Amino acid sequence: MRGDTPPADPLKEVPSALSQLPETLLTRTLELCRLAKEAQLGVTPGRVIDVARSLRGIQFVNEDDFRLALRTNLASSRAEEQRFDRVFKTYWYGEAENEGYRLGVQTELLRGNFDQGVQEAHQDIIGQLEDTSAQETHRNLNLTARWDEAAPPIEHTVRALAKRLATRPSRRLKPSPRGQRIDLRRSLRRNMRHGMDMVELARVQRRVRKTRLVLLCDVSGSMDAFNPFLLQLMLGIQKELKNARTVVFSTAVTEITSVLRRRSVQHTLQQVGETVRHWSGGTDIGGALTRLNRSILREGSARSTVAVIISDGYDSGRTEVIAREMRALRRRVRTVVWINPMYGAASFEPRAQGMKAALPYIDHFLPAYNAQSLQVLVRELARV
Amino acid sequence: MSEQNRPVFQSVEAVQAQFAQWNYIADRALALTVKLAADLEKPLLLEGEAGVGKTEVAKVLASVLDTPMIRLQCYEGLDAQTTLYEWNYARQILHIRMAEQQPQERPLLERTIFGDEFLLNRPLLEAIRHPGPRPVVLLIDEVDRADEEFEAFLLEILSDFQVSVPEIGTFIAKQPPYVVLTSNRTRELHEALKRRCLYLWIDYPAPDKEREIILRRVPGIRAALAERIVAAMQALRKIDFYKRPGVAESVDWSRALLGLEIDELRAETLEDTAGVILKYHDDIERLHTIGAATILKGGTE
Repeated sequence: MRGDTPPADPLKEVPSALSQLPETLLTRTLELCRLAKEAQLGVTPGRVIDVARSLRGIQFVNEDDFRLALRTNLASSRAEEQRFDRVFKTYWYGEAENEGYRLGVQTELLRGNFDQGVQEAHQDIIGQLEDTSAQETHRNLNLTARWDEAAPPIEHTVRALAKRLATRPSRRLKPSPRGQRIDLRRSLRRNMRHGMDMVELARVQRRVRKTRLVLLCDVSGSMDAFNPFLLQLMLGIQKELKNARTVVFSTAVTEITSVLRRRSVQHTLQQVGETVRHWSGGTDIGGALTRLNRSILREGSARSTVAVIISDGYDSGRTEVIAREMRALRRRVRTVVWINPMYGAASFEPRAQGMKAALPYIDHFLPAYNAQSLQVLVRELARV
Repeated sequence: MSEQNRPVFQSVEAVQAQFAQWNYIADRALALTVKLAADLEKPLLLEGEAGVGKTEVAKVLASVLDTPMIRLQCYEGLDAQTTLYEWNYARQILHIRMAEQQPQERPLLERTIFGDEFLLNRPLLEAIRHPGPRPVVLLIDEVDRADEEFEAFLLEILSDFQVSVPEIGTFIAKQPPYVVLTSNRTRELHEALKRRCLYLWIDYPAPDKEREIILRRVPGIRAALAERIVAAMQALRKIDFYKRPGVAESVDWSRALLGLEIDELRAETLEDTAGVILKYHDDIERLHTIGAATILKGGTE
């Protein structure tokens, strides 16, 4: 592999590395690796070998060292670290919470800002809202089941949308025969063969830079009816724009970017349904925006981002948080787009408090309640 | 260095002790991970909030091992080729011009024009070509700011430590460098890259650890004041600012207070010097809203 010694055959290394471990340690280690793999950690044979190699090098003071040595090899993110710690704790201390552990893992994914009790209260509020506006909501629903796989138009539209959103000219230059500007450095180099007389000219033009997109999608009760359409939209956009990020929220906030990267639409729909258990709950727009501003938009990369929020604005959280976070968001990203499926209905006015609070900080407020409005949406977004 | 030879660090405690000599307080998890990275010859991926000391680990490691540190700062649009090498065109052209004055054999000219003196070694090639005596520490900072193509390229380099320069030949590292990667977690890194590395999340330090860091890095500060500073910083980190202050800010603030000859931490002190700790106007306003006095008492409402 490297250095002066002949390359070590990794297969030969396996037995020696593992066989030098005392038997109980070996058994425990392999069991832990198996449990880690069941907990969705990236446990590969190569990593197991490295675990064995690690164990040989450390004089263990306590089981903590053992845990750390395994963890650093098997985990690749903070979330995975925490998952591994739980697996280890369950295994090592034999706590009878295997069932609880599994639920615990899922709760981890759905971690929100409120605890259980408050969540229930918000469900009631939404229930009330829905009662009064249910009729109107359902009347305005032109979308629902129309947007299924057999409907090509949305694919098309989404792709166009994504392409428009995706690009803008960059300051960086790339070589191009038809470029406007002359690249002096490359021209000089090329002309070396002509004895430094400028016979050939190398040109450059501006590179096209991919915009980053962050999608914040409301999947709470009041938005329930739009789900299939929204899913298609999110899926389509995520596929077109490789560096887009998608976050769904109701009362909890979950990033589903990696889930959406899978290939088959069906599989993705299923996976999203499983991971995002809070699919139709209450709404905390402020919480979602807070999470967006604090974790997902780090400094430096935010300036070229376009933030797209898809929500009807009905909110059960604190309105001043929405105002505050929208103001901050507006300042950090390039453009803020708000897509409201209710907008465009004849009687629409931003009654929802959340919507009112957010309105002053929105650059582009767009409708999206049927196929036609979607076309309008694409057109408008092209100007973003 | 292979495992048959002496390991780089004798023990986890040795790592801690040696790091401490350079005023870096490493907890057991970090020390253990560093030792494993050296023993297994695997790159080390450090993630954590801004200002917790990820970059410092590489610097201190280089100091401890008495070897240079080569730094590759990643940014959006970083071009893979730029990280390897570039030819010094201007110098080459000058050389050719001068050679035109005196007749010179062409083969000789060709050999020299693509020689080492005209090659600008960029960080990755520099790390590979490092002659020794010990392997160099290669810090790849903020790798999450580069793009996926760059990560794929990096993966290749980290596997072989081999670079081909068409005009010269292939360089293979005699001693593969100690590689430290840092990430601010702005985006997910490629799975393959993550699996290649040992991983550690570095959190904000516990109060006593932070106190020790301040006492070591800011000689001359009174222990009582350091205690108060630590308490304030711990309270501040509970507030959801846009940018929570890290250890770097604790040290800066301590230095500032020492420099201003301030002995006591009063509410006005915190309000006046907030700019050292918080870098966003919104955050400073938030501080004022909550009230410096409240924070110093340990409350966070």
